[in-house]
Amino acid sequence: MSKIKRIWSSMIAAALMAISTQSIAEPLKIGYSDWPGWVAWEVAIEKQWFKEAGVEVEFEWFDYVASMDAFAAGQLDAVTMTNGDALVTGSTGAKNVMILINDYSNGNDMVVAKPGINSVKDLKGKKVGVEIGFVGHLLLLNALEKNGMKESDVELVNVPTNETPQVLASGDVDAIVAWQPNSGMALNLVPGSKRIYSSADEPGLIYDVLAVSPQSLAADRDKWKKVIKVWYRIVDYFKDPKTQNSAIAIMASRVGLTPDEYKEFIGGTKILTKTEAKQFFKKTDGFTSLYGSSKISDDFNIANKVYGKAQNIDDYIDGSLY
Amino acid sequence: MQDQWLTVNQELTLRQRRLLTLGSFLLPLAIWCMLSYVPFIWHPMVEVEDKGSVSYFKESMLVEKELFYQELEKAQGEERAVPTGTPANPIYLPAPHEVIEALYSAFTTEPIRRNEQWLHESLADSISVILLGFLLSSLIGVPLGILAGTFSAVSRLTEPFIEFFRYLPAPAFGALAVAILGIHEAPKIAIIFIGTFFQQVLVVANTTRKLDPALLEAAMTLGAKRISMLFRVVIPGIASDLYRDMRILLGWAWTYLIVAEMIGSSSGITWFITQQARYKNFDNVFAAILIIGVIGLTTDMILAQLGKRLFPWQRGTKV
Repeated sequence: MSKIKRIWSSMIAAALMAISTQSIAEPLKIGYSDWPGWVAWEVAIEKQWFKEAGVEVEFEWFDYVASMDAFAAGQLDAVTMTNGDALVTGSTGAKNVMILINDYSNGNDMVVAKPGINSVKDLKGKKVGVEIGFVGHLLLLNALEKNGMKESDVELVNVPTNETPQVLASGDVDAIVAWQPNSGMALNLVPGSKRIYSSADEPGLIYDVLAVSPQSLAADRDKWKKVIKVWYRIVDYFKDPKTQNSAIAIMASRVGLTPDEYKEFIGGTKILTKTEAKQFFKKTDGFTSLYGSSKISDDFNIANKVYGKAQNIDDYIDGSLY
Repeated sequence: MQDQWLTVNQELTLRQRRLLTLGSFLLPLAIWCMLSYVPFIWHPMVEVEDKGSVSYFKESMLVEKELFYQELEKAQGEERAVPTGTPANPIYLPAPHEVIEALYSAFTTEPIRRNEQWLHESLADSISVILLGFLLSSLIGVPLGILAGTFSAVSRLTEPFIEFFRYLPAPAFGALAVAILGIHEAPKIAIIFIGTFFQQVLVVANTTRKLDPALLEAAMTLGAKRISMLFRVVIPGIASDLYRDMRILLGWAWTYLIVAEMIGSSSGITWFITQQARYKNFDNVFAAILIIGVIGLTTDMILAQLGKRLFPWQRGTKV
């Protein structure tokens, strides 16, 4: 009974919200998903640190793509994404501003090749399974470029990232591009398969961020500052050897794994301290800056017709809340 | 008297029927047990116990049988340490006892985090989504179906459009439902509604049309007005068939559950299934699928028994 009431009341509330303009203070709604750098938010949720910091937030757990959809539909104030996907989401109407860098991918995204292929150069003329137009594609192009090759040197097969392990095992492709847990599954599923390239070879290609809608940022700037403070409390807790296991236990339970299983995924994600993150907010070219990295993603998205018009990177980044 | 098992067009005895029902469940279970526990029937993989001198083998890694023996022979030939292992099935076919264990531990695992739910609480969420979607659909769909089945004018006005709409796949409305209704239960209920409603109107209208015209003629001869026709002849006349339709449609609503729960924030039993599948914990996935099957079957059996009580005159036929 209470359930039905709740649903009705939430429907009525939604209707009222649509009618009234900006009424009472609502909690900040943040969508997050299954990536170690974002699962870490769970520590603060569990320990009620947001309450202590005096900011009301509601975290909503999603599948990654569903979280961006909900943000685009205006149902969330902020969402966790990669800097490249922030541009894609913004290009289709859901403008957003990256105010916090959680981490950069440091090996969790990888190119996995079947036995017999030992380097990126060996991929010449081979088939590679990758989700075209997304972050894995970007990693592959980066790997080819570093080895003096072009996209046309390999044959791309469009495969959803979560199916890459099976596709590599089927033998229909010679290599795949995926991130954890799929990349690890592929290595386990195909004995003798090797990681021939990974985001650890190009740190800063993929940043994982918190992106906020411009409206919410303008209206609740102080609240978002508090959210950032809480994040660095999480980072301290996570980095402290004394409390790290407790942090990992909370994160593992969020995704339904045992802490030992989850530890595997931690190494490939470089969670950044405040000082480190500040460095990446400096405006320079290349992968060592969020600006530079996003510019490279933007070029990539246009070259691959993910969207048509170059995005103004400056509009997407605001490092001034630190 | 000897039981006759294969006589054409003759109902079996109660004992025979019970035995066969049991058999219909035991047969697949027996096949599953054989595949799982008898090594030489399938077991196309080898689970590595000791990696020996093979550099890329890891303990408890699953390797294809052929590859395992290649490496074994190679190691033997070069007089290196040989790997050892036991035959195993692929990761996507867990053995029955593993699934039973997963089933038990899924219900008994205490939530670790404050905002985490017990499995039975997630299940209750899922069931409430289905029931609300089905209820909303029935509140509008059943009256509309009866009217369309009784009056040609209503039928002509509604059915062509509904015929068109029922071909639109409910999941396609996911993003739209989230944009309008938010991220919690409401868009999920909407998907169940869309998946059920349009079929429901057509099925109910058809059932209504099948009512014996002699009943309607008799009522008209006796001077029944439109309203009393509807409530005293049509509805009582179709009640038992309508009940059966609703049972089938409820099963239909269940099939939309997984799709519906994929929309918006993750919740319910679907969250459990997709998350466990992502990390290849297929024993948990099988357990969850089993739970859905048991809930569906139990509800249906209860409704069938209830139907026999409600419509005793239908006992001879299949309700």
